[in-house]
Amino acid sequence: MPELGQSKTITTINDIGRFGRFAWKSFINSFGCCINRKALPLVWYQMNVIGVRSVPVIMITGAFVGMTLAVQAYDQLAGMGLEEHLGVLINISVVKELGPVLAAVMLAGRIGGALTAELGTMNVTEQIDAVRSMGTDPVGCLVAPRILACLLLTPSLIIYADFLGIVGGYFVSVIQLGINSSAYWEFSAYGVGLWDVSIGVIKGFFFGAAIAVISCYKGFTCKEGAQGVGQACTEAFVASFISILALDFILAVVSKAIYSTFWPIKSIV
Amino acid sequence: MKDNKNNNHTLTNNHIITLENITKKFGNNVVIDNVSIQIEKSKTTVIIGPSGCGKTVLLKHMNVLLRPSSGRVYLKNRRIDNLNESDLKQIRLHYGYLFQEGALFDSMSVAENIMFPLQQHGKIKISKTTEEIVKTKLAMVGLDGFQNFFPANLSGGQRKRVALARAIALNPEIILYDEPTTGLDPIRSDMINEIIIKFQKELNVTTIVVTHDMKSAYKIGDRIIMLHHGKIIADGNAEHIRNHPHPIVQQFIHGQVSEDDLAVLRATGSVIQTQFHPRDFEQN
Repeated sequence: MPELGQSKTITTINDIGRFGRFAWKSFINSFGCCINRKALPLVWYQMNVIGVRSVPVIMITGAFVGMTLAVQAYDQLAGMGLEEHLGVLINISVVKELGPVLAAVMLAGRIGGALTAELGTMNVTEQIDAVRSMGTDPVGCLVAPRILACLLLTPSLIIYADFLGIVGGYFVSVIQLGINSSAYWEFSAYGVGLWDVSIGVIKGFFFGAAIAVISCYKGFTCKEGAQGVGQACTEAFVASFISILALDFILAVVSKAIYSTFWPIKSIV
Repeated sequence: MKDNKNNNHTLTNNHIITLENITKKFGNNVVIDNVSIQIEKSKTTVIIGPSGCGKTVLLKHMNVLLRPSSGRVYLKNRRIDNLNESDLKQIRLHYGYLFQEGALFDSMSVAENIMFPLQQHGKIKISKTTEEIVKTKLAMVGLDGFQNFFPANLSGGQRKRVALARAIALNPEIILYDEPTTGLDPIRSDMINEIIIKFQKELNVTTIVVTHDMKSAYKIGDRIIMLHHGKIIADGNAEHIRNHPHPIVQQFIHGQVSEDDLAVLRATGSVIQTQFHPRDFEQN
């Protein structure tokens, strides 16, 4: 039994090492992609698949987040006579936390699953070996364009989610619940600053990179057969989801520390 | 000096690839067991053997798609099994590789599949020149006009021929074929054999074929090597293999089941005892 535990530990350390090397190689190749004109059509194609086709689902996610927040928070604030502050609560939650996180989770399901399934199928049908046999690095050719597309487009998609979240919240608060429109926007403008929006968008770069690297890694290392590909897709989604939550926590701590350093008084207020 | 001695190998005669004491293990499973082969330039070497004997694994060592657990691989005097992936990129340009199922890129058309290695290495933009190369390569395998087809719309034989056209896109010196005729009808198989012979003669390439199709092996092979349980048990020309005294070689080339396997089959009892009748599944 101790031997079994030891071998599991070694396997886990090996896996972490392998993932670290893969991630490092992927990022180096992604930067290489930026200056390689030959790779640009591949990046462009992936941006269309990953970004453009995800816009509707991301917008729907954002809109429902905003609308649900308005419905849930109204009663609490109305009970204290603060219903006109609803805009601050909805908009800061949407742009700083819920918009980025839920958009990233939706992307992990939509894009992460597709990336893993595509690369996993290429792996089991020897297409990745075919790329290697032609003297081409499969990480540079298959992974880097996908990572670059995810890295660049996740923040853009988060902006879409934020926008629709704000519109959805406004629709329910002002049109359905009858809050005064100018008061709604006035309090929102007071409570939500450029910093809050920027933090939400910056999170997108980290979430996008995590989704792409994890999904591509799982595709590259998936086991043979349909079951192997299916299992890799599930593992990729679970790992991406946990990474998004963990990164969100870390970035919240870091951003708060930065904010407190540069604007100490405003952070107390 | 010592390092140089380790990384170079003095070849005799006309050998282009040398596998020296290659052993490959997956976990505790020894797939290739201390195999040494020297591949002669511009000749066709066929590796035969039953399914699961390690033929494909051995083939993947030739261009270091797999690295040996122990042993050395040389290409033209230079040791290549210890090179990193970056250095291997240049080495692999010497090879064309036909995968068992073709391994065509599903998301690309036939033309894009053949253009892929050209775009990666040839520094060619999508221009008339590239299209001409694609057309020529497809004509060599008898598929000119299929440029805009996708792999999903091709038959098994056509897919292999497109994969062959892609494998020769960069004019390699060595072509590795992994089961080129498996899953094809006899006519399509013969067509693939003819293409292999044509390439060998016209392009003067070194050809290494892994197969268990004896008709194909006799037709194309200058030299036939038989693997069994990861070891070489026969090596020679077609005549030598036909008359080889080893019982396993004779069983394999004649497609006969061994007495031991038959004994296991008999020991499992009568098939009729395990048969069901449709009425056994009827609902009460």
